Amino acid sequence: MVTAVHAVMEPLSPSSAAEKPTPRLAAAQPAAAAPAKPGAPAATHLIDIDNLDFFYGASQALHGINLKIEHQKVTAFIGPSGCGKSTLLRCFNRMNDLIEGTRVARGTIKIHGVDIYQPDVDVIELRKRVGMVFQKSNPFPKSIYENITYGLRLQGRNKKSELDEIVERSLRGAALWDEVKDRLDQSGLGLSGGQQQRLCIARAIAVEPEVILMDEPCSALDPVATAKVEELIQELRTRYSIVIVTHNMQQAARVSDRTAFFYLGKLIEYADTRDIFTNPANPQTEAYVSGRFG
Amino acid sequence: MSQSIPTTKPDHFVIQKKKVQFLGLTVDDCIKVFFGGNAVVSIVVLALITYFLFREGAGFFGQNRQNLMVYRQAGLEYVDFIREETDNHTALTRYLSDLRLRSLNHLVQQKGLSPEAAGASLAKFDEFAGQFGEAVDPVRVILSDLTETATAIKTKFIVNEDKKEERRQLLAEGKTVEAAAVRIVPVDFNAELQPLRGTLPVFKAANHAFANTLTALLNQVPVLPAPELEQRAQRFQALTRDFLATLPLVERNLETWDHHRPVPVSQTITAFVFGRQWLTASFWQDWYGIVPLLVGSLMVSIVALALAVPLGVGAAVYVNQIASLREQKIIKPCIEFISAIPSVVLGFFGIAVLGEALRLLSQQSWLSWVPGFPFSERLNILTAGCLLALIAVPTIFTLAEDALNNVPRSFREASFALGASRLQTIIKIIVPASLSGIISAVLLGLGRVIGETMVVLLCAGNRIAIPDFTNGLAVVVEPVHTMTGIIAQEMGEVVRGSIHYRALFVVGLVLFLVSLGINFMAQKIVRRYRISIG
Amino acid sequence: MNLENSAHLFRAKPNAARRAERGIFWLFRLATYVVLLSGAAVFANIIFKGAGTVFKTEAPFINTTFLTAAPESLYVFEWQGQKREMGDHAFRAFKQQHPEAANVKAESFVYSAGGIFPCIVGTVLLVLGSMAIALSLGVCAAIYLNEYARDGAFIRFVRLAILNLAGVPSIVFGLFGFGMFVIFFGWNVSLLAGWFTLAFMVLPVVITASEESLKAVPKGFREGSLALGATKWQTIRKNVLPYALPGILTSSILGIARVAGETAPIMFTAAYVVRDKMPWEVEKFSDFFLQGVMALPYHIYVVSSKIPQNEYTERVQYGTAFVFLVIVAVIAMASILLRNRLRNRYKW
Ligand SMILES: Nc1ncnc2c1ncn2[C@@H]1O[C@H](COP(=O)(O)OP(=O)(O)OP(=O)(O)O)[C@@H](O)[C@H]1O
Ligand SMILES: [Mg+2]
Repeated sequence: MVTAVHAVMEPLSPSSAAEKPTPRLAAAQPAAAAPAKPGAPAATHLIDIDNLDFFYGASQALHGINLKIEHQKVTAFIGPSGCGKSTLLRCFNRMNDLIEGTRVARGTIKIHGVDIYQPDVDVIELRKRVGMVFQKSNPFPKSIYENITYGLRLQGRNKKSELDEIVERSLRGAALWDEVKDRLDQSGLGLSGGQQQRLCIARAIAVEPEVILMDEPCSALDPVATAKVEELIQELRTRYSIVIVTHNMQQAARVSDRTAFFYLGKLIEYADTRDIFTNPANPQTEAYVSGRFG
Repeated sequence: MSQSIPTTKPDHFVIQKKKVQFLGLTVDDCIKVFFGGNAVVSIVVLALITYFLFREGAGFFGQNRQNLMVYRQAGLEYVDFIREETDNHTALTRYLSDLRLRSLNHLVQQKGLSPEAAGASLAKFDEFAGQFGEAVDPVRVILSDLTETATAIKTKFIVNEDKKEERRQLLAEGKTVEAAAVRIVPVDFNAELQPLRGTLPVFKAANHAFANTLTALLNQVPVLPAPELEQRAQRFQALTRDFLATLPLVERNLETWDHHRPVPVSQTITAFVFGRQWLTASFWQDWYGIVPLLVGSLMVSIVALALAVPLGVGAAVYVNQIASLREQKIIKPCIEFISAIPSVVLGFFGIAVLGEALRLLSQQSWLSWVPGFPFSERLNILTAGCLLALIAVPTIFTLAEDALNNVPRSFREASFALGASRLQTIIKIIVPASLSGIISAVLLGLGRVIGETMVVLLCAGNRIAIPDFTNGLAVVVEPVHTMTGIIAQEMGEVVRGSIHYRALFVVGLVLFLVSLGINFMAQKIVRRYRISIG
Repeated sequence: MNLENSAHLFRAKPNAARRAERGIFWLFRLATYVVLLSGAAVFANIIFKGAGTVFKTEAPFINTTFLTAAPESLYVFEWQGQKREMGDHAFRAFKQQHPEAANVKAESFVYSAGGIFPCIVGTVLLVLGSMAIALSLGVCAAIYLNEYARDGAFIRFVRLAILNLAGVPSIVFGLFGFGMFVIFFGWNVSLLAGWFTLAFMVLPVVITASEESLKAVPKGFREGSLALGATKWQTIRKNVLPYALPGILTSSILGIARVAGETAPIMFTAAYVVRDKMPWEVEKFSDFFLQGVMALPYHIYVVSSKIPQNEYTERVQYGTAFVFLVIVAVIAMASILLRNRLRNRYKW
């Protein structure tokens, strides 16, 4: 793992970090490098997080997060365990509402300019548009077909022909179709771990969200399955905005366009992935991505 | 799949709530409230139980006060002073006949006399006993006269009450004319009690004569054939002297007795809580004292727990710590299965088999050293206790086994690693660590046993009396009645709204509170235990 | 050779402590087997003696009258030098046939002839109704506690109430049912009163069982469903309850055993000592709910306490106990076995 990270780090020049003491926050940056469409309006910022403080009961998990997540990009969240990546991710579709005593104490999260923590927001609608894939794959103990159509049936879409079509499209989209097309009526639990995770992704894209949140989607998978999921993410980026939490530096480097590094509930650095790994502005970031973290 | 994959985004991001509301609640809120309502049911039921027990039972204390008041006003209390005296005397004569039986046995068995000869040699004793017994007769005559008088007064009063009730009902129905026609002659207790009190001088005279006779007889107690019996005779004399000393007291009680003295409210409560008699539907006076029932329930429970705790906890330790895995797999469901035996079937088993079996066992000569053996009543504390133990064991076993299971494996391993044997580990580590769990298991077992109805109703013997503790452990072979048993037995037969009916509800209330208390204690202990381990 | 004989350091030495340990372990084992044997003794006694009533030696091997007839009085009398035993009906018919027998001296034993059919029917009705009530209340309460409730004073209070309700003696439930349903609601001794009394009694069992089963459904099922835009209720209905239901039902079977086995709560709320009509012989539909019924446990109580013990009455006493015990035991066994099966099967 460490050696792998170093392989990516090779071109890194150690001195560059020390020169810039202030973190390069997205807010302070003019929609930086990378393949940003020329002249794109502010709407390319899909999710706009402004000065967010988040609490679990009395303990603060996020401190003043400012972050703009871009449209149809893959954004990776990295950082040591417990730094608040999952917490922030789960804020985007308000999954944190399920945990008792959680609250957004300050700041806003806007998606398409709509503050999702306003009381008039329908969480259900929000979650339909912001899908999620969990660390531990959680297919329902139903058939593969039923797993995929679950979200659609919830919306009252029961037409067989339509469902069939979406199932195929989603499974193809999740690169799973060829493996399971002959056993759609078998239990989703009968699949391998990697297949299960891709099934969950297929399930998420079946309801056609705009954003897909992935919380360490590959942490329970072997390298081959991981490679497949990564491939899938590469394909999905053309149609969806993806936010992915990962501990795997290589993975972040491989799949993401933008990377945010968190530490102790604070956003330390947010920049193009290439910059983060080759030329981090912050010494902490550098220490972390180079594996020298304490 | 010819269609291209839609990549279009919605024109704008519509996530605002659509306002489908009902009474200011969304559909999901309504569903939540519905489920919440169901959860409240348990609280409501508990509250309703309390409410209805109070509702039906509350009237008891008022009615019992009335009951006690009549007891006093109608002179029943007065008569009972005298009755107590004669009852005490009767107890003394019973002591004498017991003495005679012992002497006879001694003469026949030790001295080898024929029964006739033995009887003849006791002639002097018989004469003495006869005189002793007859001495009370004059007092008895007065007592029976007074009993009649008092009963008559009480009857008058009760008839009056009935008439009042009749009138009230007529009025309630709006029949004023008929109501006015119900003639009620108030009872003039002063006048009615006159004949009762007028007998005081006669009684005093009779009492003196009685005392003199007994004193004279005391010097003529015949000599008995064995030192052990002589000792008993001495004891008899002492008892008689004590009895004689109480006679002036009775007279004083009669003199100072005042039927106007009010019955304080507190007395209705003490009469229930400390009352040593539960006597209903009696021609003389009804008593509602919970002590005999409470003692009965406790005795049965103690016997049951004395059997069930070693068995239940022992089995739990065995299954959890000693038994092989295969044994565990078989024993656990089996014991759980025992808990499925309905209590009424166990009760039937007690009547049909166990009672008789225990009685036969008690008559084996090699078991005669056991206190209380042999006994003749097949339904008694012991029979009921044995069956209740079978009910309590599964409860205790399951909970205690759980507690043992919750002891972290590391404790055990650490102990083994220090070279302790299995037994040492069990005694020094496992059991102490799970002790509070085991105690609460025992408490819950106790709750189960105290609340159990059918077994005690069928097998405890149903004699409403405080068992005789003077015989030590032999008390366990006496029949008793219990709180649960009395409710089950008498509830079906009482008149709704009567004092007896209400008394049964108060007993139910006591039972309810006792079980809540036990439950509460068990929970408290368990909670503390969680903290200590976790 | 020498090596083998010599005591090495760790050789097991038979010593006093070891023997004591073994002896004490035997005591523990003894306790366990005493319990098992006592239970077995009760079963064996009732099964052996009761089998004589319920089974026959000739075809169809089952005493159908006992299972399908109503209880009758038994008459025992001497007739032409023979001892005859007859049920009430048979005895009357016999007297009509033999007018000279009109004045024959017969000993009578109530309930000792005929069968226990009305009791079986009554018990089945009581169990079905009360379990329906208890399950609907209990499952909903458990859903609230496990899915909706957030920790707080109210929930702690509810849980405390459930725990305490579980400890209330059954006779107190009987008193409560009598005071509330029979008297206050004016339902008299009726199925309805019995249903509610029994339902409230098993409510804690059902709630606890349901909650346990709901807890066993992994959190991922709920999160996954919610993340797809399901409402809470949709999640519960489609993705939680279906997987919890088998568990809820099997554990609740234990509640059924309890309901069927209890006598005290129905003594004054639902049970009749004897009733001639069958429950479905009612004029109005509403009468069905407001009628009392005979019930097996109460019948056992009646025949074992209100009539003498002798060879004639023993038949029906043991027979009833046998049928009852078998019913309850089968239910309990089913519950225990199914639960163990289920535990092994559902591993998500
Ligand atoms: N349910 C919860 N209740 C209270 N505190 C929580 C809860 N979940 C997380 N936390 C705390 O919030 C902080 C951030 O947790 P979070 O799960 O977001 O970390 P993470 O970056 O996802 O870590 P990991 O990489 O290990 O998944 C941690 O300090 C954690 O202890
Ligand atoms: Mg995380």
